[in-house]
Amino acid sequence: MLRKLMKHEFRATGRIMLPLFLILLVTSVGANFSVRGMLDTDSKFLNVLGVLLVMAFVIAIIGVCVMSMVVMVQRFYKNLLQDEGYVMMTLPVSVHQHIWSKLLVSAVWFALTIVVVCLACLVMAFDVDLVQQIAGGFRELFQEICRNLSAYYAINGTAVIVEFLVLCFVGCCAMCLQFYAALSIGHSHPNHKMAWSVLWFFLMQFIMQFLFGTLVALLDESWFHHLLLGWTDNISGMASVHLGMITVILGEVIYGAIFYILTTWFLKKRLNLE
Amino acid sequence: MAVLECKNLTKQYGHVTALEDVSFSIEPGRIVGLLGPNGSGKTTLIKLANGLLTPTSGELTICNAAPGKETHAIVSYLPERTSIPLWMTATQLLDFYQDFYKDFRRDAAEEMLAHLNIPAKQRIKQMSKGTREKVQLIVTMSRAAQLYLLDEPIGGVDPATRDYILSTIIGNYNPEAAVVISTHLIADVEKVLDEVIFINQGHVVLQSSVDEIREEKGMSVDALFREVFKC
Repeated sequence: MLRKLMKHEFRATGRIMLPLFLILLVTSVGANFSVRGMLDTDSKFLNVLGVLLVMAFVIAIIGVCVMSMVVMVQRFYKNLLQDEGYVMMTLPVSVHQHIWSKLLVSAVWFALTIVVVCLACLVMAFDVDLVQQIAGGFRELFQEICRNLSAYYAINGTAVIVEFLVLCFVGCCAMCLQFYAALSIGHSHPNHKMAWSVLWFFLMQFIMQFLFGTLVALLDESWFHHLLLGWTDNISGMASVHLGMITVILGEVIYGAIFYILTTWFLKKRLNLE
Repeated sequence: MAVLECKNLTKQYGHVTALEDVSFSIEPGRIVGLLGPNGSGKTTLIKLANGLLTPTSGELTICNAAPGKETHAIVSYLPERTSIPLWMTATQLLDFYQDFYKDFRRDAAEEMLAHLNIPAKQRIKQMSKGTREKVQLIVTMSRAAQLYLLDEPIGGVDPATRDYILSTIIGNYNPEAAVVISTHLIADVEKVLDEVIFINQGHVVLQSSVDEIREEKGMSVDALFREVFKC
């Protein structure tokens, strides 16, 4: 059922995100013309047009990034807490499947947004010489890595990349879940649901920061602090990097899990559709 | 085995009691009218049966199971407001229902859409309010469910559409299933009902078969409703 939920989630979100990606790529072609000639000509018309095209490109980048966030929040709000909630929350699927479908699809759109923005920047800067230089640079870098690569760095490098990708995914999920939790709690109120949601978002942000700050203060000079110092003195630099990454990932998992529990509990027990 | 059973069911919203100590059961093969004035607790009861609300106390079961993922697969629910995704076309909506419900009869749904001249490729957003309600009813009644919970299916539509909706319900429900129709428009639904449950201010005040009301009290359900709920 999760697969089916995701299929329909992609269908619902793709109709917004895909045209936006297309617009961004089209504006990047316009910006490319602008950078490669229009801004350097004597024609006032072409100069103005060039500036407008670059502005359109910048606005399109901002628009795509903002919309990926807006779509993430709006889909949860409209699909589960507004009128559509009557259909969605009576499907033979669990609340967990609903949340995971939205989390996974949002994560895919965030990742695609980054890829498309990078692609658009490459299109904007497209120049045969430049592309050859970048390709040459990458080729040299790759050859250099292959020459100096030992099993130690190959394994650890791959592990760090995997840890970084896991951190990005977990961080992205935790951020989405904070919005979901605020919306779920806010919409359990009988009135002013959106105002309550905004209030709960900032309240939860404050509480989490307060708890984190308190935890850091409590751990300072504690037995745990000395344990960590003892470890870092005796382990290699690379092991410290792994330890740091895993600690941050675990922190994000706990941060996200708190919001996940809040979201599921409020959707199961305190759902209050109008 | 009762399709829908409530035992001492109570639901409170803060200090407001929407349902209090409600007990009744509905057997398969019956079309039951859940009748009561506005604000009597009909929608709350239907939401509880769909797991959209949690009881404060008491118990509600569907085929002996508490409302949840399993009961959603056997209950076909028509909410009182249009809640199908408006951005979809009618065809996409049928795809959606087919994906999630094993008992969805796509051919029946397509036949009803064609009968009403509803374009399958048109977005639901572009349809009139009445047409949207018809589409929602079509997908609800195209399921071979064990329990149909229809919340105000004829509220807010013209008399001709009311007749169509009622004939759609009668012509398409699974005869082994129970149908619960919540409404305050008694005269229109009376002809299709086997049984009625009168609900007022969160209490069940009467559960009886329509034949019993006619034979024993010598009046129509509409007349009895007006007598019981006289202001």
